[in-house]
Amino acid sequence: MSISMSARSGLIAAGGFAFLISAAGPLAAQQQPTSSSAIPPMSAGRPGFSPIDQTKVELSKQDANLKGHPVPPTATPIDKLPVDKIKLPRGFKAEVWSSGHAGARTMVMGDKGTMFMGSRTIGRVYAITDKGDKREAKVILQGLTQPNGLAFRDGSLYVFAINKVYRYDKIEDNLDKLPEPVELTQAYDLPDTVHHNWKYVAFGPDGKMYVQVGSNCNICEINTGTHGQIRRYNADGTGMEIVARGVRNTVGFDWHPVTKELWFTDNGRDWAGNAGPEDELNRIPKNMEGANFGFPYCHANGIPDPDVKRPNPCAGVVMPAALTGPHSAGLGIKFYTGDMFPKQYKNVAFIARHGSWNREQKYGYDVVMAKVSGGKATISPFMQGLLNIEKNEFYGRPSYVFQMKDGSLLVSDENNGATYRISYGDAKTAAR
Amino acid sequence: MTDALARWWRPLAFGLAAVSACALPAAGQGGDLAEKIQFCSACHGDDGNSKIEKMPSLAGQPAFFILNQLFLMREGVRKVEAMAPIVKDLKDDHLDGLSKHFASLPAKRSDEPVDAALVKRGAEIARQRRCSSCHMPNLSGSEQAPRLAKQRVDYLTTALKEFRDTTRPGGDTAMSANLAGTSDADLVALAHYCASF
Repeated sequence: MSISMSARSGLIAAGGFAFLISAAGPLAAQQQPTSSSAIPPMSAGRPGFSPIDQTKVELSKQDANLKGHPVPPTATPIDKLPVDKIKLPRGFKAEVWSSGHAGARTMVMGDKGTMFMGSRTIGRVYAITDKGDKREAKVILQGLTQPNGLAFRDGSLYVFAINKVYRYDKIEDNLDKLPEPVELTQAYDLPDTVHHNWKYVAFGPDGKMYVQVGSNCNICEINTGTHGQIRRYNADGTGMEIVARGVRNTVGFDWHPVTKELWFTDNGRDWAGNAGPEDELNRIPKNMEGANFGFPYCHANGIPDPDVKRPNPCAGVVMPAALTGPHSAGLGIKFYTGDMFPKQYKNVAFIARHGSWNREQKYGYDVVMAKVSGGKATISPFMQGLLNIEKNEFYGRPSYVFQMKDGSLLVSDENNGATYRISYGDAKTAAR
Repeated sequence: MTDALARWWRPLAFGLAAVSACALPAAGQGGDLAEKIQFCSACHGDDGNSKIEKMPSLAGQPAFFILNQLFLMREGVRKVEAMAPIVKDLKDDHLDGLSKHFASLPAKRSDEPVDAALVKRGAEIARQRRCSSCHMPNLSGSEQAPRLAKQRVDYLTTALKEFRDTTRPGGDTAMSANLAGTSDADLVALAHYCASF
């Protein structure tokens, strides 16, 4: 990690002003440990379901000590943010838009201009308000279990924590004291597993709420009726339909501005080599809703899984529109519809790549472009500079992208607790 | 919301009762880092190695792990009823200082009996479940992954069950996936294996 804990610790917010929600369910009854020294039989999986991860690290030929990078619970001070390292195409500029909100991930904007931001481990939802020359970030919810899924419609903020769903009505009029939420957990009836089930959600052009349901493992058999999906619901949680199956873990999707088809990023499995299988950018073609995208048997452009096998593993599987790199962790995706950037950026998808952990040479930590043509896409660099390839270290982790009303692009950085605003053209930049 | 808050506060009362088993110094909630350390040590052990049932040892834990957990408990994400009133008033410098202090202490085994047959079986389960992938081959932990080596058997058994049954909000979700399908007996064996280091 590039920034020491002591440098960060000054910025830890006590959060004493925040509204507290208890995400705790009733405590499960604790059973006493068995004291017998007899060796008990090997336990079986759940009936009809085999959740046991089939990962075989030794066959991957990867460094067995690779592990996920810790997300700091604190934000980087504004003068230590790596904005100077960011590299963009000619004519583009990056600046800090907001800072001091640790664990920065998802972004949605209210009708009155409040930016709501979701997080994972730190359990907070922030409200970021624009005060002209600076932005103020305030904790409005805390103590939730990974509230990554946010959506806004008709004055209401929908908050999806892991398997908990709340709706806050008229929230922008009540940011100082949030209204009692309407709990929609039972209506959405999400599976009770937690891994890969921090949510990504968004309202589609059809007015339905689209919801991620991840696979509860790195690589395992899944029940496709329960896990590894994208679902859609009516906003109140009724009318569930499965729109994609065999999806390992998507945490970002958007609709093409012209075709209205759903495009989603998908994070590939770990421990099958440094080279891949590569992550995917997928498209659900028209009239193919409910299609199978391959997990766990078939990855990337038709790579059979080495650990979970079946005959013809890729039969009937929709191949990706593009590969997005080994272990690159594509999260947020947004098709650009603004007028600020040059014409060739219209309808291009920007994808935030969070960056690899299960790869000896780090990869990603950037924002790439996907140029769409005929249902396929080509990937090219856009925002770089947060990965130092020679030193094999990173300075930030782009998580989500958001298009502002003026056509500029915000990129959230989970590692530093900040957002960067990317603009084009001196005049428009100076006008802010 | 009222119900949810009530659920959170009710176990808190039990937690306070549990803490009363430790001889807490009266001055624990004010003052400097040395007083904070003394306060924590009353339950977690003078040398950071707990002698109290189901109370975790902190000695030799990665500093980032301790800081992160204290932060998440103060934040209300990780809900440990006994800890909630204690971490509530800790300042950032306290979190930092406490983390570094306990990380610097050598881990020692508790005096709980460790069963050789269970250790052997626990080693096999740990291999299958790839515990060392995050907790390191010697189970000494690293960054956000805690040290398991020499931890108390009774504490680990409880913690593993909470992870498996997802009754431990704020924990790493990978733990729930990695323990899916284990029996209580499996978890006891894992705890014996970890303690045996």
